[in-house]
Amino acid sequence: MAVLAKELTAELRGRVALNAVGLFGLTTLIAVAYQIGPYRIADADRPHLLAALLWIILYFAAASGLPRVFVKEEDARTAKTLRLAARPGAVFTGKFLFNVILLAALEAFLVPLYCALMSYGIAGIGPFTLLLACGAVALAATSTIVAAIISRATGSGTLFAILSVPLVLPLLVFLIQGTRAASASAGLAEVLPALRAVTSLAGVTLVTSAFIFPVVWHE
Amino acid sequence: MTKPRLRTTAQWLLGIWLLVVAIAAFHWAPTARGFKGESSRIVFFHVPQAWVAVLAFCVNLVASLRYLRGRDPLDDARAAAAARLGLVFSVLATITGSLFAHVMWGSFWNWDPREVSIVILLLIYAAYFALREAITDDERRASLAAAYAILAFVTMPFLIFIVPRIYFSLHPDTLINTRGAMDMESRMFQVLMGSLVGFTGLFSWLYTLDVRLAKIRLARRRREEV
Amino acid sequence: MPASDSLVWVTAVTVVIWAGIFVYCMGLDRRIRRLEGEE
Repeated sequence: MAVLAKELTAELRGRVALNAVGLFGLTTLIAVAYQIGPYRIADADRPHLLAALLWIILYFAAASGLPRVFVKEEDARTAKTLRLAARPGAVFTGKFLFNVILLAALEAFLVPLYCALMSYGIAGIGPFTLLLACGAVALAATSTIVAAIISRATGSGTLFAILSVPLVLPLLVFLIQGTRAASASAGLAEVLPALRAVTSLAGVTLVTSAFIFPVVWHE
Repeated sequence: MTKPRLRTTAQWLLGIWLLVVAIAAFHWAPTARGFKGESSRIVFFHVPQAWVAVLAFCVNLVASLRYLRGRDPLDDARAAAAARLGLVFSVLATITGSLFAHVMWGSFWNWDPREVSIVILLLIYAAYFALREAITDDERRASLAAAYAILAFVTMPFLIFIVPRIYFSLHPDTLINTRGAMDMESRMFQVLMGSLVGFTGLFSWLYTLDVRLAKIRLARRRREEV
Repeated sequence: MPASDSLVWVTAVTVVIWAGIFVYCMGLDRRIRRLEGEE
């Protein structure tokens, strides 16, 4: 918890991650909305395209900002101190929760904007919000552990993309399918399979991270 | 029989076995109904390649887990060897699958869930090696690679098993049928099994060669350090 | 059925490819055995 508090205060002071993530997302969104807009997609293609585009934008924005939680420690040389001061479990949980909050903020900002700009109607707002929340948790989980791995490697931002894409693809598939379902109908039942898949993915990732993070952190 | 003798005999056996399988695949097994012309014959190569790619993944997982437990550099070598072969076979599986799709449906790629999962496996292997390339320290490379392999392994089943169950798949069901109902003619089935065994043997051979070489290298390095 | 000799062609190519791989692996095996002997 202390780690989370530290992350939040540091972020609120500097707002670097939020800016990066927000700006990236906004830029991508505007580019998409301007070029494609609500009217240039054939009605038959709308459900698929709009759902897919939303998550692509969210993932790209996330990929630009989430890895920072670990990379900045290595850059600022504060990593060694952190290793001595806190248990690995606490470090991971703190940074993971920070990423969840960051993603949630990003979603709260981008999603309504996206729906407005692209005339994307969501029939089931409740299930959709649930999907967004679970998606944030799952995406943050994978991003945090991958960020931890690459922070120990001499890499650029591309290493994060290379490592996370194969892991995030199934997640994105489920999220896009779920978004399509939520957009089409107001019921929870249609979104349930996707929700189940996303939550189990999140759970599996977190459990595995609990197991491998200490190894990654202490190398 | 001495070990080298046993090895050579097994290798010759494998050579003949796969030779027979190759001939049988084209001249003994029938073609499947519902497939275009002779195209179903590619199954005898495509399925075992995909199977080996997954098998290599499992071997890699076991080696990675063992490395994290005992920190034996040989386990890391084993993991890397398995991953190398996994990469090769997943590329082969993707290519043969794509060729088949072109013959059957006219396009090289259809975004069918099973097609996507073999590509994801390929991406995982590529990412695995990208990670290894990015780390210079031997022990750190081994640990981080092992960590990533484990993470990838737990994520994979979701795409292979869950997605196809829920959503429609273009993949011919007669071939991926796991319920036990034998939709395949017995000759086809026999050749397919024979090919599976043969490819597994080939993987085992190539894998052992790689590991033996790694053992020699490690022994040499240890001697140099003394 | 297409001309059966085109199937013969494919079989021949496959057999040649496999023979090539096989011979190469045998060669590798021999070399590694020699290295192991030197250890």
